[in-house]
Amino acid sequence: MNHIEHNNGKGKRLNREDNEEDDDEEEDERDLEAWERAYADERSWESLQEDESGLLRPIDNKTLHHAQYRRRLRALFSTANAARIQKGLIRYLFLVIDLSRAAGEMDFRPSRMVVVAKQVEAFIREFFDQNPLSQIGLVTIKDGIAQCLTDLGGSPESHIKALLGKLDCSGDSSIQNALDLVHDYLNQIPSYGHREVLILCSALTTCDPGDIMETIQKCKKSKIRCSVIGLSAEVFICRHLCQETGGSYSVALDESHLKELVLEHAPPPPAIAEFAIANLIKMGFPQRAAEGVISICSCHKEAKFGGGYTCPRCKARICELPTECRICGLTLVSSPHLARSYHHLFPIAPFDDVPPSHMSGTHHRLPNNCFGCHQSLLNPGKYNVPEANRVGFGGAEEIGLKMVEEIIGLMERNGGGNMPGPCVACPNCKQRFCLDCDIYIHESLHNCPGCESFRQPKSVAAVQE
Amino acid sequence: MKFQIEDVTVYFPYDHIYPEQHAYMVELKRALDAKGHCLLEMPTGTGKTIALLSLITSYALSKPSSLVKLLYCTRTVHEMEKTLAELKLLHRYQRLHLGDAARTLALGLSSRKNLCINPAVVSAENRDSVDAGCRKLTASWVRALAVENPNIPTCRFYEDYEKAASDAVLPPGVYTLQDLRAFGKEKEWCPYFLARHMVQFANVVVYSYQYLLDPKVAGIISKEMQRESVVVFDEAHNIDNVCIEALSVSVRRQTLEGATRNLNKMTQEIQRFKNTDAGRLRAEYNRLVDGLAQRGNLPIGDTWLSNPVLPDDILKQAVPGHIRKAESFVSLLRRLVQYLKGRLETENVEKEGPVAFVGSINAQVGIDQKTLRFCYDRLHSLMLTLEITDTDEFLHIQTICDFATLVGTYTRGFSIIIEPFDERMPHIPDPVLQLSCHDASLAIKPVFERFQSVVITSGTLSPIDLYPRLLNFNPVVSRSFTMSLTRDCICPMVLTRGSDQLPVSTKFDLRSDPGVERNYGRLLLEMVSVVPDGIVCFFVSYSYMDGIVNSWNETGILKEIMQHKLVFIETQDVVETTLALDNYRKACDCGRGAVFFSVARGKVAEGIDFDRHYGRLVIMFGVPFQYTLSRILLARLEYLLETFQIKEGDFLTFDALRQAAQCVGRVIRSKADYGMMIFADKRYSRHDKRSKLPGWILSHLRDAHLNLSTDMAVHIAREFLRKMAQPYDKTGGSGKKTLLSQEDLEKVGNGSLGEMLF
Repeated sequence: MNHIEHNNGKGKRLNREDNEEDDDEEEDERDLEAWERAYADERSWESLQEDESGLLRPIDNKTLHHAQYRRRLRALFSTANAARIQKGLIRYLFLVIDLSRAAGEMDFRPSRMVVVAKQVEAFIREFFDQNPLSQIGLVTIKDGIAQCLTDLGGSPESHIKALLGKLDCSGDSSIQNALDLVHDYLNQIPSYGHREVLILCSALTTCDPGDIMETIQKCKKSKIRCSVIGLSAEVFICRHLCQETGGSYSVALDESHLKELVLEHAPPPPAIAEFAIANLIKMGFPQRAAEGVISICSCHKEAKFGGGYTCPRCKARICELPTECRICGLTLVSSPHLARSYHHLFPIAPFDDVPPSHMSGTHHRLPNNCFGCHQSLLNPGKYNVPEANRVGFGGAEEIGLKMVEEIIGLMERNGGGNMPGPCVACPNCKQRFCLDCDIYIHESLHNCPGCESFRQPKSVAAVQE
Repeated sequence: MKFQIEDVTVYFPYDHIYPEQHAYMVELKRALDAKGHCLLEMPTGTGKTIALLSLITSYALSKPSSLVKLLYCTRTVHEMEKTLAELKLLHRYQRLHLGDAARTLALGLSSRKNLCINPAVVSAENRDSVDAGCRKLTASWVRALAVENPNIPTCRFYEDYEKAASDAVLPPGVYTLQDLRAFGKEKEWCPYFLARHMVQFANVVVYSYQYLLDPKVAGIISKEMQRESVVVFDEAHNIDNVCIEALSVSVRRQTLEGATRNLNKMTQEIQRFKNTDAGRLRAEYNRLVDGLAQRGNLPIGDTWLSNPVLPDDILKQAVPGHIRKAESFVSLLRRLVQYLKGRLETENVEKEGPVAFVGSINAQVGIDQKTLRFCYDRLHSLMLTLEITDTDEFLHIQTICDFATLVGTYTRGFSIIIEPFDERMPHIPDPVLQLSCHDASLAIKPVFERFQSVVITSGTLSPIDLYPRLLNFNPVVSRSFTMSLTRDCICPMVLTRGSDQLPVSTKFDLRSDPGVERNYGRLLLEMVSVVPDGIVCFFVSYSYMDGIVNSWNETGILKEIMQHKLVFIETQDVVETTLALDNYRKACDCGRGAVFFSVARGKVAEGIDFDRHYGRLVIMFGVPFQYTLSRILLARLEYLLETFQIKEGDFLTFDALRQAAQCVGRVIRSKADYGMMIFADKRYSRHDKRSKLPGWILSHLRDAHLNLSTDMAVHIAREFLRKMAQPYDKTGGSGKKTLLSQEDLEKVGNGSLGEMLF
């Protein structure tokens, strides 16, 4: 504790401005200790784990991540269930991507805009997967000007291609210009469609030509839900915009967090109260055109060979679904699209955690395998300890008792050996699932395999009676 | 919510209370029980004001006989209004629970400038001319004349107030200044005189420091307050400076010239009165023979200033014979002014104690100490006799008499310093004669003696043991509270090196080093690109700020900064600064972002909040030491060492660090807020400097943040801002309770009661 004494000595000395001295060397020494101390406080090495052969194992955050995921799921479910919230399934979303100077910063690797483009790509695919009836448009902000990259449309590929082609950044950012532009487009959307803007904002400033507050009020009046995801820090005007228009505001900590935040916008948001009146929408279900027919496509305005769909009302040729017919303006979808939108309204209930004590008893009537993937729940695949090894530990008398205790303790901590791994159970059919299956069921499958396979015989039986 | 603290039921208008507020109340309650003074430090944003108000009013309610009044002193009118608004909320809550038993009268008192409702008077630009404008309409002789001659203008609000006489009272309630004006307009009564009248009957009075500390004002406003009252000085970290300023006078050449003009005018007036109304002067003479105690007989509207702290016996003494006559008093003043003029001619800096100075006056112009002492009252009396209403024009001669009285009264704790020119601009002659008070305890002594409990509180009172020594009193309780936070929402850093790893400092030898200036510029430039919305920079002085901004402008750094954020600068002109602040806020609101350059010890550093997005980062460039070569400071340091054994180094560091803490403290105003503080000077990393920062800043200053360079600071800032932008749980979740409900408090109460019993 040399340095502390040294400091006290300095403190006692008369310290008028003029007769101060500094010993840079000693301060440097202290500096080293200061940053070392920060790491010492965290004690990060204690979370390191060794495997059986003494090699370091990557830190296992799986359980932690899963717990976070489940918390979010439960929160979503409770809000959705509590009031049977109506959801906006037909969404018109403008993605605003900030390509101002700040997007070139390197705090995300290789740069903010590349990372953003990557996430936007993933988002667009996920979005159409979850909202087949919706449409997206892309807007970029560069040099203080907002530019419409793609019009509203339902084809993920064309958006992604347009964005990746235009990836360079310069100048200032202007949220007002972007909002004005988007407002003009969205104002023409029919009232059953949900108007949304998602701004991916790298910049911390916005250089606007006029009063942005007025623009925000204009968006509020047109029921445009504006959400912002910031890349570096909380900006007041963004928070204000989201609060006023009912959107959400979040700031990304790192790349994976950014991905999470972006994907949070993929499931449909609750409908805005004034639009929540039920009304009928006229839709067409086009037939797939015969192969080998040449016809003029209404979307590209050129002759196309084969594929495509035919509008049931005006018989025009369309390349992709879903879309709006260019000729008669009819909304064109396919029936799987409608069906896929359905699960948002009736999600599967989150699964319950199973306490480990329930698992350990082998006399329990339920099998110790995951109902989804049939992997053992006791020794999750990768932690399986080879039989031979275990025998070896059993006969290790000459190693000494202490050592054995240590090894067993280590194994227990690792969830290895015969200890049960974490698992969950469906509240309806009581079947058990491993964590991977849990995520798969809730995010992609939208059906519980247990409930589905048990319902079948029951309903059959009911019919027979 | 409602809870017990020992034997007092406390009514608190919110559903939840912070643990530190509760602890604060407990300590305050103990101080009131002990009938003693106390010193309490609690960070801003933790609801100090409401804790104070609710405890003291609840105390008064539960023990009706013990407390008479709460005198709450604030520094600015804005704070006064905020306090009264809180009090209103509290009062409504108490009424809800106690009904009419909780009836109180609470009001704010301010100058005529803030209370006058006569449009012709209040439109004047400064306080003194509003005061003079009022007197022109309301002085007793003016009104007497107006009775005979209806063409002479009077103030109809004052006339109505006078007519209503004893009926003119305020019904119980809480009145902000705005409410007072509204009430005055409704009833057509003058709110200023009404408020001054009602102060005697009010349970809570909120007014500015001056009403208690400035002896000239304290005499008339606060003399009728009962001993049992509780006096609270809020935001009192600078209370010693306020005390000193109240007793310091500086005389310049303009003052003396003005005084001569005033004296000429007075001579004319005396001549005129002699010709027309000799009886008046005669009557005054007789009155003076009886002594100064007659002041009480004058009507309230006319007693505008009173004497500085004079020992009681002087008031009862007769005015010395040779100044009873008006002409001889005026000629005496002429001699005094002449003498001072002569002293100002000097080429060298002179420093004298009051005794030597009085001795030399006596030797050269034959005015003795006792006569000097009476100057102030004699002038006051003369001006009344001469029916002078435009008092703003006579400020110069009043200053001279004020000076004379102070010199004549005190023999210790003062010094007289004559400087022929400003230290920093030696080629411009600007002679000034300063009577500077070194002892803060002189002005506050009567307050400590008169009132049974005086509470001194602020967000920054560190080191807390120095204040009792400076103010010369014994607190029964002195404590510093820390803030309980749900997340680490403040991030103080000490930056010792620039981006080129060379040390940065505003130390004298490094100050004008272009390398340091460039490093500071780079720091700001990096910061504007990572911090959103508002940034506030504090510099050590105006001259340093001018210099560095110039050099940044030349090197183009300023231009680069402007690409990210707009730049606003505080100037010595109040109007300009207000305008700059206004635009700064607008730029922060609309997302353009802005930087505000300000000066430690300036107006902005003291009174303006940069909360929420108005200040996400504050950078303190350098350590704001006082100008150490200033003669007044040197004299004060000497005095402190002699009288209170406070070492000069200790005092300078204390003073600089409390200014720095004050500056950076502007950024956090509530717990939901967050902000960063950068102390950009290598001297902050030293233990003796750092340890003088308030505890709530120190507890967040991590070891690893003590010796940073620019790039490391930028990295930390990025991380911090991202972390803070995440949603968080306001109640602090399960582990750390930072909001207590009534049930929690009852549990705590039982626990602590148990602890005390054992």
